[in-house]
Amino acid sequence: MTVTQLESGEREATSSKRTPPAPRRRRSFAVHFAHYKWLYLLLLPGLAYFIVFRYGPMYGVTIAFKDFVPFLGINDSQWVGFRHFQDFFANPDFPRLLGNTLILAFLNLGVGFPLTIVLALLLNEVRLTILKRTVQTLVYLPHFLSWTIVASLSFLLFALDVGPLFTFLNGVFGTHVDFLSNPNWFRPLIVLQDVWKNTGWGTIIFLAALATVDQEQYEAAVIDGAGRFRRIWHITLPSIRSTIIVMLILAVGQVLNTGFEQIYLMTNALNRSVADVFDTYVYFVGITQGAYSYSTAVGLFKSVVGIVLIFGTNWVAKRFNQSGLF
Amino acid sequence: MSRPLMRTAGAAAVLAAALAASGCSGASSGASSDLGTITMMAPYFEAQPPAADGAAMKKLDEITGKNLNVTWVPNSSYEEKTNITLASSEIPHVMIIQSKSPGFVKNAEAGAFWDLTDKLAKYPNLKTTMPEVQKNASVNGKVYGVFRGRSPIRASVMFRQDWMDKLGLQPPKTVEDLYNIAKAFTERDPDGNGKNDTWGITIPKWGALGTNSPYDIIEEWFGAGNRWTERDGKLVPSFETDEFLQADRFIKKMVDEKLINADFATFDGTKWNEPFLNGKGGIIVDVDSRVSQIVGLFKQADPANYTTKVGFVGNLTGPDGKLRAHPTDGYAGFIAIPKAKVRTEADLDQVLKFLDKLNSKDAAIVLNNGIEGVNFSVKDGKAVPVSPETPEAKAVNADVKSGLAQLGMNVAGNQFYQPKQASDYEQKVYDRRIEVMAEDLKSAVYNPAASLVSPTYVAKGVQLDNIVADARIKYLAGQIDEQGLKDAIKLWNTSGGDKVKDEINKLWQDSRK
Repeated sequence: MTVTQLESGEREATSSKRTPPAPRRRRSFAVHFAHYKWLYLLLLPGLAYFIVFRYGPMYGVTIAFKDFVPFLGINDSQWVGFRHFQDFFANPDFPRLLGNTLILAFLNLGVGFPLTIVLALLLNEVRLTILKRTVQTLVYLPHFLSWTIVASLSFLLFALDVGPLFTFLNGVFGTHVDFLSNPNWFRPLIVLQDVWKNTGWGTIIFLAALATVDQEQYEAAVIDGAGRFRRIWHITLPSIRSTIIVMLILAVGQVLNTGFEQIYLMTNALNRSVADVFDTYVYFVGITQGAYSYSTAVGLFKSVVGIVLIFGTNWVAKRFNQSGLF
Repeated sequence: MSRPLMRTAGAAAVLAAALAASGCSGASSGASSDLGTITMMAPYFEAQPPAADGAAMKKLDEITGKNLNVTWVPNSSYEEKTNITLASSEIPHVMIIQSKSPGFVKNAEAGAFWDLTDKLAKYPNLKTTMPEVQKNASVNGKVYGVFRGRSPIRASVMFRQDWMDKLGLQPPKTVEDLYNIAKAFTERDPDGNGKNDTWGITIPKWGALGTNSPYDIIEEWFGAGNRWTERDGKLVPSFETDEFLQADRFIKKMVDEKLINADFATFDGTKWNEPFLNGKGGIIVDVDSRVSQIVGLFKQADPANYTTKVGFVGNLTGPDGKLRAHPTDGYAGFIAIPKAKVRTEADLDQVLKFLDKLNSKDAAIVLNNGIEGVNFSVKDGKAVPVSPETPEAKAVNADVKSGLAQLGMNVAGNQFYQPKQASDYEQKVYDRRIEVMAEDLKSAVYNPAASLVSPTYVAKGVQLDNIVADARIKYLAGQIDEQGLKDAIKLWNTSGGDKVKDEINKLWQDSRK
């Protein structure tokens, strides 16, 4: 018997005793509301924010189903049903965009997410406080640089024939690879930039979780003769497991946001075949070419995929006997 | 709820709010008497836009009898801003439209702009002496704006004259000469430093089709036409011709032999002059105004010897010995009048009268030269800059350079003074540029489809063209072979290009009736 069945069973039981049920519940809500009215008042600004800035604008999503012409406005533009979606799915760009987006997304997730945990664990094991603090500050710093700066740095470091990393790497391996235009190097480059920029920042929440782990367990484990890796494996990781799961679900929800700026800045004609993702496509087609309806349809599709991924991960997390997000 | 949806929704919301607001604000500006102030949107090209209360702007107010209020937008984001403005409440009376972008065409066909086809001729300064160009700037014959005239021929080959002299080479006349010079510049150590560190032609990251890029120019020299070309009584895109493949084979050969900078696919266009100035890459194929620019830069760096550094010629003859000069469409966008802001015929008349005055000789001089007696004086029919430069002159010069010239239309040729160059040598270069371009104009091969706008192309032309443009760069870089390039052209056709061709041909037949 599931929880909801239990609840409804109880409710039936109580309602059968006291009649009539409906007015009572309404009254109880009124009492409840009167009691907490100031708290409800506090809720208002947040609610207003969501309605005005988050739900209200969704009205505009209707242009995905219209042939939107700015001059005519949203209401007067023609309805076209799913035509933009059909165009998009039939477009030869579609499989490429979907593939690029998913590959980049899961590369970033698959490399970046574990690395964040590893870095947090490493930092947690550092006993010298001054060293720990210094390293922490240093790995946070890249987070505050804009993608434009990161991209410019990459262009300098990997510049053909003159960039220091270009000459070093090609010198060591005896190759002549142009990292900036070779499509095979696009994804590694993007993941590398992402790791460099975001890994340090991502450790913050894990470090906070690590700080709450019961120290006595470690002492007990040391007495039992557990080494460092044993302690990490059997105490640290299980203790922060729920944090990891929640962070993973949140990360999966964000996964399709492959980072417009970063990819836009690193794209050129030679690597476009692997670089085009939904975000850049929506920009090129929507903003620069004025195809608002079509690009809204693309964006909407991306959102649907995002929702599916969130619910999917949540479901998987629950299957593995972990508490999901909802 | 996930973030991407929010973002899409957010963008839409901005549009929605903007549209709602436009409904409100429209009422207040609807009265036909309220046209003392004319608002305009225009691009600017320097770090600072022209000063709103500068002497030049005041002079323009005086000439036009209106209070001119220009919203200056950086050129790099102008296209985006145009699309957003069209969807907002901040629509100006007069907008510079830089290209017949899908966003513009869609709005225009929905009736967002006044159709000026039969109106312009009534205003003396708006009546064009170049009806061909006006037709090019139209949308299938409908004129939605006053075009901004530009010299039709601008393509030029510029090279390091000191290198040529050292190696004993003659200026190029044919594409074969271009290859030979590029090869000599690469392999025969033109700077004499004993190192193999020079190359021939420098090409920046500039791949899109039909943007007057070095690729477009060389393809036209080979005979591929200008975007579209007539074959057996039908129009076909240039890239479907044999000459296109021939030209790209020629460029690829130069890439393979390292006569072109290896990073041509990623090289930043704003640094285009640098390899030329620093003695790395000795040839640039671009607009002729770059010649004067480079001469000026050499003068700054080395005033004693700058006259020996730069040589240039115009268009080159193809392998068959024929000269096909690459022209632009003769205009750089046009000035359109949105109906959302200018509501009645009476208002339209006022705005057109304003544009008429803005296109008068007096205004053209302010826009392009400045204010006589403040920043220049006239000598032998040429504008001579005031020297030494006073603070007032400096301000006017900065405004002219930054964006004022963008407001000029010159639909009846240039009425302002040619600038007198700073030195005799620079004057010589300038005069020779004019001469070369005038000579090339006789051999110009125009785009026969310049005025034709096909609905399918509006819907997805840019994505379609990207297929071929990217394949072209990939082919040159050796990522795909010639078959791969042909496959991309086939893909262009099957993805909707076939339809574009049909529509363009139909429009073309109609326009010739």
